[in-house]
Amino acid sequence: MLRKHRNLLDYSFDCLRRYRMRTAVILVTFLVATTMISAVLFAKEGLEREAEFSVEAAPDLTVQYLKGGRVEPINTSYIDIIAGIPGVEKVLKRTWGYAGIGAYTFVVVGLDPEGLDHSRGVITSLEEGRFLKPEDEGTGNIVIGKLIAYMLKVKVGDDIILLSESVEANKFHVVGVFSDSSSIYTADLILMSFSDANKFFSMPEGMVTDLCVYVDPAEDPASVASKMNSVSNIRVLDQDLLLRGYKAAYGARGGIFTTLWTILLVAIAMIAFSQAIVVGHESKFEVGLLKTFGFSTLDIIEVRLVESLVLGFFAASLGMLIGYFYTAFFNAPGLVDILLGWAYLPREFRLPVYVSLQSVFSIYAVTVIPLLITTVVPAWLNAITDPELAMRRAAA
Amino acid sequence: MIEVKNLTKIFNRGKFNETAALVDVSLKVRDRSIVALTGPSGCGKTTLLSMMGLILTPTSGEILYDGESVLRASDYWRTQFRRQNFGFIFQHINLLPQYTTLENVLLPLYSSDLAPGEYEGKAREWFSRLGIADRADHLVEQLSGGEQQRAAFVRALIKDPMYIFADEPTVFVDEETSRLIYGIFSSLRDSGKTIVLSTHDPELMKLADEVFRFSKGRLC
Ligand SMILES: Nc1ncnc2c1ncn2[C@@H]1O[C@H](COP(=O)(O)OP(=O)(O)OP(=O)(O)O)[C@@H](O)[C@H]1O
Ligand SMILES: [Mg+2]
Repeated sequence: MLRKHRNLLDYSFDCLRRYRMRTAVILVTFLVATTMISAVLFAKEGLEREAEFSVEAAPDLTVQYLKGGRVEPINTSYIDIIAGIPGVEKVLKRTWGYAGIGAYTFVVVGLDPEGLDHSRGVITSLEEGRFLKPEDEGTGNIVIGKLIAYMLKVKVGDDIILLSESVEANKFHVVGVFSDSSSIYTADLILMSFSDANKFFSMPEGMVTDLCVYVDPAEDPASVASKMNSVSNIRVLDQDLLLRGYKAAYGARGGIFTTLWTILLVAIAMIAFSQAIVVGHESKFEVGLLKTFGFSTLDIIEVRLVESLVLGFFAASLGMLIGYFYTAFFNAPGLVDILLGWAYLPREFRLPVYVSLQSVFSIYAVTVIPLLITTVVPAWLNAITDPELAMRRAAA
Repeated sequence: MIEVKNLTKIFNRGKFNETAALVDVSLKVRDRSIVALTGPSGCGKTTLLSMMGLILTPTSGEILYDGESVLRASDYWRTQFRRQNFGFIFQHINLLPQYTTLENVLLPLYSSDLAPGEYEGKAREWFSRLGIADRADHLVEQLSGGEQQRAAFVRALIKDPMYIFADEPTVFVDEETSRLIYGIFSSLRDSGKTIVLSTHDPELMKLADEVFRFSKGRLC
């Protein structure tokens, strides 16, 4: 009994070797399909993970001022009101917005000098230079994202000019560069002192963009947030909400899912097509012949299954490897625009790549299973027709 | 003994291209005999051989091997029966072009617990007898028609089957090889095998113990 299975196994490998055309078509189809799927999926997961990191770096709660349903600057007099709510540990003011350099737009954030030494919620890992200190107030010193440093070719000690809304040129002095080039939070971030940011955005006296609320670690942020309901004209955002926003941008609405599904459908169609055209014809005759010699329907399915599994797993693994290098080392040329189009990040941004066990299994599943179905089902259909007819129809 | 009772095969039943390939045919094939089927092209020889070889399902009728009806058996049983008892030589030869002559000949062994490698010697012996020893390791697509037919001949005999179905086994070979094949068929019969063949070759018909003539799907 065992001998027969060894024979069938040998025969499967013989088929892979002998039907070069068939093997090559499936291999190429598979490589293209899995490379594209894995490039998108690995980058998507990387971006999602970065989004989670960003949210972890965000304050527990963010308080915005609403006027007529729109977000407007908030008066610093709210700080005392909110600080008085039970469970609130610290309230920091923040002023932020966008600034243009050439054709690019970057995020400018001014941090409360009191918050600079606050251990939570501030990313301080730098590649070069130093982080902002309270003494930097009003000096024009900034810390910039690695992406900006790369794009503008600046380093610590250099000056850069930022255009404000009033199209006034403002000169700033780089004192630090963030370390991670794949972080969606710091990549395009320009951090400056609080008073510099207020001046840059021409904020009215006593007004800031929003308030960052840090909750006592023993308290639940959601219940603290609900206590703020009594304060009128404000909106409170918690981390869940931010995460959902990020995920929407990097997920379904961002088009990455559509891209993924399209690639997937094209891949499966390619697999099915190559199977039908190249493999179907050839194997119909073969199956009829084998059946005549006494290969049972199960034997034939076994041969085809082994053939497809070996080929499918090999090709899918190789495709994933190529997909990984394509994204991680070459930044997915041709795909990067689709991946980042919705994220307001320039294409120079280095895609964060994350390979989870789950996505590896999903890629195997979505490629190998269609291959199995498209080989085994026709083989089975051929095996249950009269061998004489199967051979005759294939020969005709 | 093979008994064929009222066997009928109608292709594409109920369609515009309905073809009655074989109509109400009954015949018996004794063990240790050579039986020849003959008749003009399209008279149903291949159809009958295929049905007797259990690779084509009849529209109606019965086939019995040693008194046992085989048509009602499961597909699995019939497949196994073929594997254990039958050798086929097809009219269109039906070798796999991507494989060598030797590999093609050993192919029927792969669905069993036999070790194909152990049959290589036997296969090569047959190749020398039939004059294709130097073609053993060539791809089949590089062989001439006659060489291919001889390879198909060896493939049918490799497992030493009880019944051999040979559809026009001498059409592609020269006279000398034909004579060789006649000799092999008669010695197979002497060793207890049963051979059912279709042919237009008068010499082969002379060799047969019985000849059935067909016309338009009927015995005549
Ligand atoms: N699969 C099929 N579908 C429809 N008609 C078929 C099929 N197979 C055979 N036929 C028809 O059945 C008839 C008998 O065919 P068969 O192949 O048995 O003839 P044959 O006696 O072997 O002829 P030849 O000497 O040319 O090989 C022919 O008219 C043929 O057209
Ligand atoms: Mg015929």
